[in-house]
Amino acid sequence: MADTDGRARIVCTGLSKAFPGGLRAVAPLDVTFDAGATTALVGPSGCGKSTLLRLIAGLEEPSEGEVRIDNLTPARQRSRGAISVAFQDPSLLPWLTVRANVALARKLARQPPDPVLVEDLIGLVGLSGSEDTRPAALSGGMRQRAAIARALATRPQILLLDEPFGAVDELTRRQLARDLPPLWQPRGTTTLLVTHSIHEAVTLADRILVLSPRPARIVADIAVPLPRPRGPEMTDSAEFRALVTRTSEALAQGDADNAPMAAQ
Amino acid sequence: MMRAVAVGPPLLGGGVLILGWVALAAALQGGHLVAGPAEVAGWITTNPGLIGRALGATLANAALGFLAGNLVAVALAAVAMIWPRLLNLVSGLALVVFCLPLIATGPILRVLMGPGDGPQIVLAALAVYYTTLIPLLTGLRATPAVWLDLVHSYGRGRWSELIHVRARAALPYLFAGLQIAAPAAFLGAMVGEFTGAERGMGVLTIRFMRALDVPALWAIAALAAAVSMAVYAAIGALARAVLHDRPPVILAPPRVMGGSRPERVMQPILLVAVVLVLWWGAMALPGMNPFFAKSPLDVMAALTTAPQAAATRDTLWTALAETAVFLLPGYLAGLILGAGLAVALVIVPNLSALVMPIAVALRSVPIVTTAPLIVLFLGRGALGTISLVAVMVFFPTLVACLHGLRQAPGQILDVFHTYAAGRLRQMAHVRLPAMLPALFAAARMSVPAAILAVTVVEWLTTGRGLGSLMALSASVSDYNMLWAAVVVVTTISAVCYAGVAAVERRILSIYAPEQVRR
Repeated sequence: MADTDGRARIVCTGLSKAFPGGLRAVAPLDVTFDAGATTALVGPSGCGKSTLLRLIAGLEEPSEGEVRIDNLTPARQRSRGAISVAFQDPSLLPWLTVRANVALARKLARQPPDPVLVEDLIGLVGLSGSEDTRPAALSGGMRQRAAIARALATRPQILLLDEPFGAVDELTRRQLARDLPPLWQPRGTTTLLVTHSIHEAVTLADRILVLSPRPARIVADIAVPLPRPRGPEMTDSAEFRALVTRTSEALAQGDADNAPMAAQ
Repeated sequence: MMRAVAVGPPLLGGGVLILGWVALAAALQGGHLVAGPAEVAGWITTNPGLIGRALGATLANAALGFLAGNLVAVALAAVAMIWPRLLNLVSGLALVVFCLPLIATGPILRVLMGPGDGPQIVLAALAVYYTTLIPLLTGLRATPAVWLDLVHSYGRGRWSELIHVRARAALPYLFAGLQIAAPAAFLGAMVGEFTGAERGMGVLTIRFMRALDVPALWAIAALAAAVSMAVYAAIGALARAVLHDRPPVILAPPRVMGGSRPERVMQPILLVAVVLVLWWGAMALPGMNPFFAKSPLDVMAALTTAPQAAATRDTLWTALAETAVFLLPGYLAGLILGAGLAVALVIVPNLSALVMPIAVALRSVPIVTTAPLIVLFLGRGALGTISLVAVMVFFPTLVACLHGLRQAPGQILDVFHTYAAGRLRQMAHVRLPAMLPALFAAARMSVPAAILAVTVVEWLTTGRGLGSLMALSASVSDYNMLWAAVVVVTTISAVCYAGVAAVERRILSIYAPEQVRR
């Protein structure tokens, strides 16, 4: 079971996923995500990052291997309301207001309503004033922020973020990368973040896993020992830039390893 | 986009129709074909009690049938969502019941339920539940997968899916279904009254057709049309008040045959088996008179081993051939004209402002109630019958095809715009392919409607074909023949539906692969 402070550890053993038709999205993978840590998954498009996230959430069944979250299956953890996913597509229900969409997560997780928390979260993602707006009237970035607020509304032990800032403009993106982690990090939420942005990965994560092109394999496991909070002065620092460079090189390396013909 | 559902156009359409009616009456004055609005209004004011009582009776029956049929549709859809394994069986059974010819179901219900309003209500419900069930199932299943993932990510199952996501997502589809169901309920109640009720618009129709009372026939058709249009518009207005998105035009994709090859072979066999067992079980209920209640074995015997089996088969074949001669040209003409006009409206957009309101107004008219008028114009022969079938198919096809043509992907059209490609070129390369799914959806859904239309006209007017045979068999209590005709009509209807669906699946797999996946 989870610790008393709500930390949960994710262990993947021999985890692999092949889709009907032989497409292998995830190579056999052995990896542990420490309780309370934020891990960024970076890799080329279509490398199976999202599939890995879905496997950990239990939304896909693994072809082989297993996922255990504090020794329980993802399905068990889901039914306890321990997991939240912010999907790549904001997937807000169009007939509900922003407030009702955020509150819906608590209803689905069988948690008592908490209007104060919902209100706070909407404020933190910068949507104050849009509480009673329906998603159709929001911009793409606003929808994604609403989806993040929803994902946080259940105070999850496991938070899975699938390119949550994809449609957010660069300025807001950096602001969110600064403002959001304090929402989950002090609570010891184990967070997995799929992203294309190396900058974002270094800003948000304690650890970066660089994945190869499909099927996803780990090509580099990079620790990010930067202090928090990581404000603008941090992102200009030499350590930060060194980590960005290391991650980009690992990405390029993973690409080259997988395409020997192209490297010729 | 689709202006078809706004309030304005139907009202405008109603206005244009009345003007056209006035013009027609003026042009054909003295021909005893058309009673103009003034004449009809005069007839109604001189017979307010007669027409008022009839309208009241029909409306009450239609309303009860509407309620019952839609409740059944909602319940069936919920069952299919909670136990997805039952989906194929439920929609298969629903289709078979929908394909039952109302002309035969009416007399059978009359014998079962005796005098009173029962048969009219049941027929109205039968005419309604399928037009609601199909959009509802489409809406319940059209939910984006990510919304369901959201529910699953909190460890919730099908119930939560249904309550939090699917039920609400299907509401626009439900309203679209209810809109079409309103005229269908009116039609069902009137057909029920044709088959021997004491009161109602259907009873009056039969009476005035015998008397060739032109103003009375026009009055009945005009009232039926006005009431249907009003209800259609009212449900549309309710939908706009409840939803903030407008009801979609329903293009239910064909059922995807899931599973492995043996499963695909087994499903129809299972369906036929369940239908036969249910039929046999219903006929074996206590209180069923064997003189009237024929089981599958009785029908089989009547067609094979009975002394007059050969004669029975001959009669059925002859009637079937007579029906097919009217049905096929009418059905095809309706499809071609509907699709053709839709194409013309897109190429000449100005035309659409004029035609669409009329089409929407007419779509909400229970076509069968206008049968006597079409027969007045075109006579009791082939032309009248074919025209009625064509009209029955025409309006749904037009509306669906227009929707399809306008759904052409904007990005692809933009590519064509960049090269300044003209409307015709856009039509050939982008819009026509985009229209195909809509055309086939309309073709499939029109099969039972066309068969209903042809059998009703045959029975009301021409005295030939399966419709007439069923009515005749009922009136002389030849129940073996009646049941055999029901089996033939239902089978043909269901097989043609499945046949169109099979062609449709092949077309869609090329032109709209996203609709046949999953």
